[in-house]
Amino acid sequence: MRTPSGHKVYAMAAEYPTPHALYEAAKAVRDAGFKRWDVYSPFPIHGMDDAMGLGKSWLSAVVLAGGITGLLTAVILEFGPSWILYPLIVHGKPYTWRTVPAFFPIMFEATVLFSAFAAFFAWQIMNGLPRWYHPMFNWERFKRVSNDGFFLAIEARDPRFTEIEARELLERTGGQHITIVHED
Amino acid sequence: MSERTDIPKPEGEYFESERFGGLSILLALVAFVAIVLSVVGAVIDTTQFAHSWLFAFAVFFTLCAGCFFWAIVHFAVDAEWTVVVRRQLENIAVLMLPLAILFIPVLVLRHHLYEWMNTPVGADPVLDSKRQYLNWNFFLIRAICFFLFWIVASQLLRRLSILQDKDGNPAFTLKLRKLAFVSLPLFAFCLTFGACDWLMSLNYKWFSTMWGVYIFAGAAGSSMSLLVLVITALRKAGYLKDVVTLEHYHIMGKWMLAFSVFWAYIGFSQYMLIWYANIPEETQYFIARNTESWWYLSLLLVLGRFFIAFGILLMRFVKKNPGELAGIAIWIICMQILDMYIIVLPALHGTGVHVSVWDFTSLIAIGATLAFIYLRIVGRSSMFPVRDPRLIESLKLVN
Repeated sequence: MRTPSGHKVYAMAAEYPTPHALYEAAKAVRDAGFKRWDVYSPFPIHGMDDAMGLGKSWLSAVVLAGGITGLLTAVILEFGPSWILYPLIVHGKPYTWRTVPAFFPIMFEATVLFSAFAAFFAWQIMNGLPRWYHPMFNWERFKRVSNDGFFLAIEARDPRFTEIEARELLERTGGQHITIVHED
Repeated sequence: MSERTDIPKPEGEYFESERFGGLSILLALVAFVAIVLSVVGAVIDTTQFAHSWLFAFAVFFTLCAGCFFWAIVHFAVDAEWTVVVRRQLENIAVLMLPLAILFIPVLVLRHHLYEWMNTPVGADPVLDSKRQYLNWNFFLIRAICFFLFWIVASQLLRRLSILQDKDGNPAFTLKLRKLAFVSLPLFAFCLTFGACDWLMSLNYKWFSTMWGVYIFAGAAGSSMSLLVLVITALRKAGYLKDVVTLEHYHIMGKWMLAFSVFWAYIGFSQYMLIWYANIPEETQYFIARNTESWWYLSLLLVLGRFFIAFGILLMRFVKKNPGELAGIAIWIICMQILDMYIIVLPALHGTGVHVSVWDFTSLIAIGATLAFIYLRIVGRSSMFPVRDPRLIESLKLVN
């Protein structure tokens, strides 16, 4: 979708005066059936994920996978050499699987480390990061988002998006300074 | 930001003691029979009974001490979510008073429990070097001081909290916060040295610097499980329906998960350091518990208290389902009972598990007595602090 002047449309966006107004607007947009839209605020708003109709995040599953990978890595790297490849008696300890207490700290650390890596990178990817520039910043008012601005944007790639319907919905929910935001 | 509008009435909710009169009489009857049997046990099988009673006492003591801990932490950190469940924590914490009375058999039967009390001066240089701490007079004075603190602090906690129900004066919250600040270090002190006195000194040659924390870790996790059970039972009976939500269950489940991990962390640290250093006077404790039939119980404890509890509690839907969370809570409390069993009984049966009938009668005697007293206490005040300044925030909890 393009504007008459030839710019590609990113979204229809509006500013809201309070977090509560934004919260109520999010519920209205959710109920209107839009899928590709987002809210922007300077701080997290309690209950917003429910108001936006977001399901449970996949992050926990990725972190679990990372943790299991870390655990298995430690198990292989410890038991492989010390039990199978080069069995040695160290500190008078057994060199069978019974030496496992000595290996637990490393297993624990590797589990935590890999979980943390998985969490960090999966979180970046899920948020579309890293990116150099976000189209929302094409809107001058949006610069207040890190200060005192509360914004909602319905994106043009939403299959239900039409300029008229999006504008009407934002107006109905009390949005101010409703505008089209350009992609580039 | 929640949409809750159904704020409970300011009169609060009251437990109808008459409705559960039958249960109360049944508990009293069970407690009476079990106590009579315990007296019989104390006469005919004194040493075994003394250990069984100490084991049962340790189970319920850790549960009550844990509830006291959660109540004071609530005030110390000015928590929101605990408000709706706090009154039940206070109701369980005041059971310290009957527990102090139930501790008397341990004092009476001390010569059957603690070898160091029977060893004459000069017989064992290891013991003689510890005599300044391990002597009967000091032991008794410490026990009295510990219980005095727990009784006074838990009673004060509940009194002030109930006084606030009448007028909602926030000054009570500030007073309770001061009480909590004083109580926290004293709680840690009394629990650590209580655990060392009553459980660790069963074998005076053995020591572990992590003992107090280990007992605390088990107490905090299992008492949170007990809270889940109590709240679920009250909801089953028709109370607290509009007050405690799935969000509260979710947080209680998170704490159960956190303390499963913490218990494993402390328990393993204690085990690994002793295992690695391999010094005979330290390893004797684990050698007794990791050989013969005790090994299977130790294995069950490690698997059950950590691996199974952790694996299940990791899933979010379990924590948001009261029925399933209550099931896990029962499991964790069973594991706490097993933990205390493995701590106390090998001191007597070092060569293998020897289950005795007095283990069960002691557990039932103390449990039924405390449950009976709890039923008497719970009806005396509203089931949640109706005029707590943070009540609305707690009701609207979202996490």
